Amino acid sequence: MEWSVPDRQERYKASLQESEGSVSVASITRDGTEVNIPETAVEAEGRPGRVIVTVGGEAKLAHVTRTGDTWWVHMDGRAHEVLFHEQGGRSPSNEGSLGAPMPGTVLEVLAREGQRVREGQHLMTLEAMKMEHKILAPRPGEITKVHFSEGDRVDMGSSLVEIGD
Amino acid sequence: MSPEWMQGANSPYSKVLVANRGEIAVRVLQAAREAGLSSVAVYSQSDSSSLHVETADESVLLEGGGLDETYLNGSAIIEAARSTGADAIHPGYGFLSERADFASAVDAAGIRWIGPSAHAIETMGDKISARSLMIESGVPVIPGEQIPVEEGADHLGALASAAAKVGYPLLIKASAGGGGKGMRSVSVPKNLRSEFEAAAREASAAFGDGTVYIERLLKRARHVEIQVLCDTHGDAIHLNERDCSLQRRYQKVIEEAPSPAVSPATREAMGDAAVTAARSVGYVGAGTVEFLLASNGEFFFLEMNTRIQVEHPVTEMTTGIDLVQKQFEVAAGLPLGISQDEVTQNGHSIEARVYAEDPSRGFLPSVGELAVWRAPSGPGIRVDSGVREGDSVTIEFDPMLAKLVVHAPDRGSAIRRLDSALSSFVVLGVRTNIDFLRKALSHGAFRGGSIDTDFLDSTDPSELSGSEPDHHTLVAVAAAAQRLGIDRQQTPGTEALDDHTGHQGDPFRTLGRTFP
Repeated sequence: MEWSVPDRQERYKASLQESEGSVSVASITRDGTEVNIPETAVEAEGRPGRVIVTVGGEAKLAHVTRTGDTWWVHMDGRAHEVLFHEQGGRSPSNEGSLGAPMPGTVLEVLAREGQRVREGQHLMTLEAMKMEHKILAPRPGEITKVHFSEGDRVDMGSSLVEIGD
Repeated sequence: MSPEWMQGANSPYSKVLVANRGEIAVRVLQAAREAGLSSVAVYSQSDSSSLHVETADESVLLEGGGLDETYLNGSAIIEAARSTGADAIHPGYGFLSERADFASAVDAAGIRWIGPSAHAIETMGDKISARSLMIESGVPVIPGEQIPVEEGADHLGALASAAAKVGYPLLIKASAGGGGKGMRSVSVPKNLRSEFEAAAREASAAFGDGTVYIERLLKRARHVEIQVLCDTHGDAIHLNERDCSLQRRYQKVIEEAPSPAVSPATREAMGDAAVTAARSVGYVGAGTVEFLLASNGEFFFLEMNTRIQVEHPVTEMTTGIDLVQKQFEVAAGLPLGISQDEVTQNGHSIEARVYAEDPSRGFLPSVGELAVWRAPSGPGIRVDSGVREGDSVTIEFDPMLAKLVVHAPDRGSAIRRLDSALSSFVVLGVRTNIDFLRKALSHGAFRGGSIDTDFLDSTDPSELSGSEPDHHTLVAVAAAAQRLGIDRQQTPGTEALDDHTGHQGDPFRTLGRTFP
């Protein structure tokens, strides 16, 4: 899973450790390079959409919520957006199935049923609001099902392609 | 049954239809409830679950798609009043509020119109007729001259002498115009002819009338307006000024009362001029006379708004007078019940308009779901809004989400209170101008009270945009929130707290993850 902020190209990855309802950030990489960050931990505050963020020993309340592939964070009196990108759009709830990361139109289909693909292989391209989004294979395997063809409209989260072993 | 306070009034009513939507509809509907009046909302299909419908006692769907079929559909709205037995209509602002023909139609239908007469709306709605009436009444107007353009006539002589009278720099405006069309500024005489011809051409094309007038261009002027209240018994008072100089492309952004640039002498002179203006059209109800205040203290009539204003709360906060309640009283034929001497000015009030717009993308309207909406509260904080958490923001209507209004003993503390309230206004799911408002508010020029109407448009945008946030921390928070499964649908807040740690961490779930 990768992260970015609006209008910026950099891709971030976060490595997290979870214990007792608190998540601490072990490391953050920006475009593959680890960046120095102060010790950061986040825990649920107990009420909906509220978390306690501790940065460098200083704890503060933040409001967080998610709409589509955007996480909204209100902290220190300002609202921000963080975008997440599921590499290849792998859906955690449906192992082996690739979910659409956004609603849009299928621009091209490069995968066909029965084909063996390698991890990261380009399978499909979606277009939404004039932006193209590549769907990549999350792991090697055999394509067992392709659910859409070119020009089809897809809803967010629709299963696009299924990959077997 | 009309409410008790209306007993003895010569034109009582009992049920008000509010011909509007959004925050002003909610404001008026709440006032009606407080006043003991029954209320009716009208709504378009897309507003069927909106706050103003919920606030009213009953509601009527205006069928059809566009505004012409719904909120601008006067006959459907009058029919809605008839079918529900509403005997009064409050128009709010915008939509039909300044349509003289609608005011007449409401009147003709035997329904009480909560506003001024059609004659007052019509006279003040036309720039030229308003201007000549003001000159007649002795209200100062911006020095200017009207120049008719007749085919083949030699107008250049007339133009040059008019320009000399008005003085440079000057503004050429289409008489029939609006929206900046046919408007040209001329700073030196040698450009006069070409700009005049361009303006007349534009005016002919846009309005079918090439008549233009020229007026002096006031630089570094402030926008100061006076709230007036008039009853049907010939009484007219003013409730001091509001300063609306912080504008972006002629759209007000932050308004305050009192103005940091108005002296007691100017307030009195401007107030007198506003009352004179209102009297000259036989005004009834709440209205606003707008002026441009030049840096030398001179002021000039701009226009009169014949309705309640968006920024009316700052006057309510500082004078303690409920303007919508006063509109109800005046419409029932009751006297004002307050004299000019009894109008007080208490402390300082500022209003900030919170818009669903994206300052980083040229203030384009932003759309989406108000996934989180936590309006601030506390002493001296008022939020007038027509939305609530979970509502969708579309491009169909005006993008104003709320008016955040504060009241404090003095201007400095009002600015601090507003900044603090803005910082705790949590709106997630849709981009807003909240950060931009905070930057504008904290700008030295605003704090010093020295801005003019060009301030926002002439200030380097970088001075009004927030500093780059700490991306690493934001990514860390978002990633952690996602890992914690914090979402609106499945928030951990609904789970029982752990007895030992006070946190919601479920030991079994944690164990399950640690030892799969």
